[in-house]
Amino acid sequence: MLPLKLLFRDWRGGELALIATALVLAVSCVTAIAHFTDRLTRAMHIQSQTFLAAERVLRSSEPADPAWLEGARERGLQRAQTVSFASMLSAGDQFQFAAIKAVSGSYPLVGQLEMRPAENARSRVADSGPPPGQVWLEPRLLPLLNLEMGDNLQVGDAELTVTGLLDHEPDRSDNLFSMGARVMMNLEDLAATNTVQPGSRVRYRYLFAGDDAALEDYFQWLQPQLTEHQRVIDLQEGQPRVAAALGRAESFLYLAGSLAVLLASVAVGLAARRYSLRHTSYVAVMKSLGAGRGKVLRIYLGQLAGLVLLATVAGLLIGSLVQAQAVSLMADFFPVEPPPSHWRPLLVGLVTGIACALGFALPPLARLARTDPMQTLRRDWSNPDRREWLGLVLGPASMLLLIWWLSGDIAITLALFAGMALLVGGAALVNQLLVRGHLSTLGGSWRIALGSLQRRAAFNTLLIAAFGTGLLAMLALVFARTTLVEEWRMQLPDNAPNHFLFNIAPHDVDELETMLAENNITSTELYPMVRGRLVAINGVPAKEYNKERGGDRVGALNRELNLSWTENLAPDNRILEGQWWDETDEGVSVEVELAARLNLALGDQLRFSIGGLEVEAPVTSLRSLDWNSMRPNFFMIFAPGTLRDFPATYITSFHLPAEKKLFVNELVRQYPSVSLIELDKIIERIRDTIGQVSLAIESVMALMLVAGVLVLIAGVRASIAERLQEAAIIRTLGGRRRLLLNSLLVEFGLLGTAAGLLAAAGAELTLAVLSQRVFELPFAWHPLLWLLGPLAGALLVGTAGTLACRSSVSQPPLKVLRELA
Amino acid sequence: MSAVLRAESLHLRVATGEGPLTLLNNISLQLARGESLAITGASGSGKSTLLGLLAGLDVPSEGRIWLGGEEITAMDEEQRAALRARCVGFVFQTFQLLPGLTARENVMLPSELRGERSAARRAGEFLARVGLEHRLHHYPRQLSGGEQQRVALARAFCSIAGSSDSENDGILFADEPTGSLDAGNGEKIIDLLFQLNAESATTLVLVTHEQRLAERCQSHLRMAAGEVEIAGSAPGDNLSEVSA
Repeated sequence: MLPLKLLFRDWRGGELALIATALVLAVSCVTAIAHFTDRLTRAMHIQSQTFLAAERVLRSSEPADPAWLEGARERGLQRAQTVSFASMLSAGDQFQFAAIKAVSGSYPLVGQLEMRPAENARSRVADSGPPPGQVWLEPRLLPLLNLEMGDNLQVGDAELTVTGLLDHEPDRSDNLFSMGARVMMNLEDLAATNTVQPGSRVRYRYLFAGDDAALEDYFQWLQPQLTEHQRVIDLQEGQPRVAAALGRAESFLYLAGSLAVLLASVAVGLAARRYSLRHTSYVAVMKSLGAGRGKVLRIYLGQLAGLVLLATVAGLLIGSLVQAQAVSLMADFFPVEPPPSHWRPLLVGLVTGIACALGFALPPLARLARTDPMQTLRRDWSNPDRREWLGLVLGPASMLLLIWWLSGDIAITLALFAGMALLVGGAALVNQLLVRGHLSTLGGSWRIALGSLQRRAAFNTLLIAAFGTGLLAMLALVFARTTLVEEWRMQLPDNAPNHFLFNIAPHDVDELETMLAENNITSTELYPMVRGRLVAINGVPAKEYNKERGGDRVGALNRELNLSWTENLAPDNRILEGQWWDETDEGVSVEVELAARLNLALGDQLRFSIGGLEVEAPVTSLRSLDWNSMRPNFFMIFAPGTLRDFPATYITSFHLPAEKKLFVNELVRQYPSVSLIELDKIIERIRDTIGQVSLAIESVMALMLVAGVLVLIAGVRASIAERLQEAAIIRTLGGRRRLLLNSLLVEFGLLGTAAGLLAAAGAELTLAVLSQRVFELPFAWHPLLWLLGPLAGALLVGTAGTLACRSSVSQPPLKVLRELA
Repeated sequence: MSAVLRAESLHLRVATGEGPLTLLNNISLQLARGESLAITGASGSGKSTLLGLLAGLDVPSEGRIWLGGEEITAMDEEQRAALRARCVGFVFQTFQLLPGLTARENVMLPSELRGERSAARRAGEFLARVGLEHRLHHYPRQLSGGEQQRVALARAFCSIAGSSDSENDGILFADEPTGSLDAGNGEKIIDLLFQLNAESATTLVLVTHEQRLAERCQSHLRMAAGEVEIAGSAPGDNLSEVSA
């Protein structure tokens, strides 16, 4: 009971306020971030699943075994089915090739269909696709087929009534290379159309959703039964771009959470150190009154336990309320309502509270138990930091484990610790330089400030490291966020190509280019394309060659590849091995990942079968390329001479602004044989998702900045009493207010500059590791960081320190001295 | 009378950068129950260091100390603390009240450390004895210097009064108890100290610079450079044996 009594008395006396505030803020900050991250990530996942219209999809080029669907039903999974194919539509004397999708009544399982019942009506959400006998069209098909709502449309042998215009289908991106505008019909009408015959190019998609465990169980059961014609698609495979964005965003949010923990810990450590120093006299008195070391330890451990309990409960409550408020304030920005939070964020908050207390508050409090009772007689309240190794080991070790647990990523953990180690080592070095400064040549304020720095040399190392940690976290986060968001924006710039044209006949190339130019539409280069199969490598049948070398089953060996040739390397391609050719060369450049899967090396002879003829070429280079660039890209690119005699069609991509959308109709009408892929709506959707991810990141960053400021305040407060006393003495001796204010500004400004400089170095190192290991982005220097770090440090620490100590200047010195006595 | 406090051939040496330094050299003394001893000397003469050794706050490099019949130099730190909790009270020059605790809570602290249930009642009684019954709930910062030292006296006597012995083996150690007070307040505190000491029949060891205060004690030990310079009895009182 005594520890709790003393805890209550200390609390009432204000002694515990700082350490409790730091703990409450640590727990609430981390809890809020964990809640927020948890809810956002799950909301983003729900939204991202709309790209599949399901949680998982089985894609097949033939109908699935009914037993498989029965297996899903038995496990209580929700199911839906779509069948996609290209077919000619007719209405009166108008014909148009279109991408048809027949959907079952339960489609979509995730996400929403949006349609309009009339051309000028507002788009509305439809629970399911068109009922039997009806068909919904992409709006631009109406003028192409001279149709009006309510007219009949011939799809194969079936006549269906046009009852809606399709504005959005969640899984539009699943089949990018479906040709033509979308037509959606009911699956029950499919048989009547007679369009799907044996040998037709049809894509069957079986959609599943439900309990995670049931899904996992089902696909574990299904996977071994699949043939090479079937694949299971999840978000990672279905939408690698969105999956990558989400993956990086998650890494970022976990990084932010980890940094929050680090900052909060430093704040708790500083507060606990101050508390411990202030309690040295308490313990010395208690010991002289008969409290042994064991009793003192029990009292302070009991107090700490009580404090952790109270602070953690308060922190969990505050954190939960803050995140609920933040989510409700930002509700309009989220496409789906974030699901309620799990219990895990509460566990994160609880463990954070305990780890902060054990790692950072326990060592200084445990040190109290070793206080020498003779100090009461010597009237010396210094707390010699003997056995400091406990704090040095316990604090970083607990943080290392906690951050590892939170982030689940050893790269993030080690990157942070590398940054921190640099910072602490640098702090000691910088401090030495400050201490060695020559005072005699300096003016009044500078002399007082540097003198003060020299007197507190040991503590200043700690202070610089603490300020540096706060600044490092803020800088690393701001720059990581900027890097990520900019990277996303660069990947999908506003003018990224959003339409692909292929099957362009060679004689149409010039005219088509002219037409695009006349309409002010910029296209990428037109690439010739022939389709061919890789049949042999170095004279050995390709599949055999690959199998001999233990290669996996490679899809590229089972199908025809798009082969192209060009003189110039595309801007998003990079030669990694070998040489790009000059005009006289022959050879083939292979995409580097495919080359690895096929065990290809420079100089290997590849034989292709193209329309019954065979052509052979050596591998002259290996290339990396960016599949996300929205430009035509090829696994195999030949030197211009090699394929010259084979009949080719051309492919290109271009950006079409929304207001010019009807140009597509003109294009299709003028070049009916050309195939068009429209990616504009998909890109828009991806942009929306990335925009939301960016918003999430920015919100979390704001919370982090609060934690950073907390460290600054704790750091300043940790040394305030001594500074107040010195200032009061100088004033008593006739020092002027301006002199003192300036010296405070110089002292804290120097500390802040040093901390900022080190934080910039630490942040640069952290960002370098993060970029390469976590975000998978190329390394880049951040010159702005080196300017902003010291500047922000000087400004923030200088201002915070001066403001915190201004009472020493504004209050009568006697009052300050009496209060400190 | 049996000795409540006995020290034999105390030496205290500490290591410094310039070799070992002798703080106390060959000090012996003996004090019977209820007696009082003043330790005087110039600053740095070793009087507070000796007080700390006698109270069991530190251990000598050589020599033995018995307190209440038990040899504290044979005890570990925990045992010495337990002994202090039973029969030692302290009054410090700078009062050493815990600023976060009220006057009553400060006085309660020794009883609470011993786990006594009647701590609050007893603290109230002792504060009444030092004339501060109306200041129970005041914090040290709300009390004058004289009042703070009276609270410290109440705490010290409350601490000794916890001794369960039928005959009081309690010893009060006072380290310059008037050093932070003006003459008037110092006088009052001394009167109170001796009055309580007499009422409680406790043994008193005090360190002081003040001759007048030393003269009120039955025995006197003057120190210089870690050694006993003069040892003897105060005039007119029953003498206890003080030997150097």
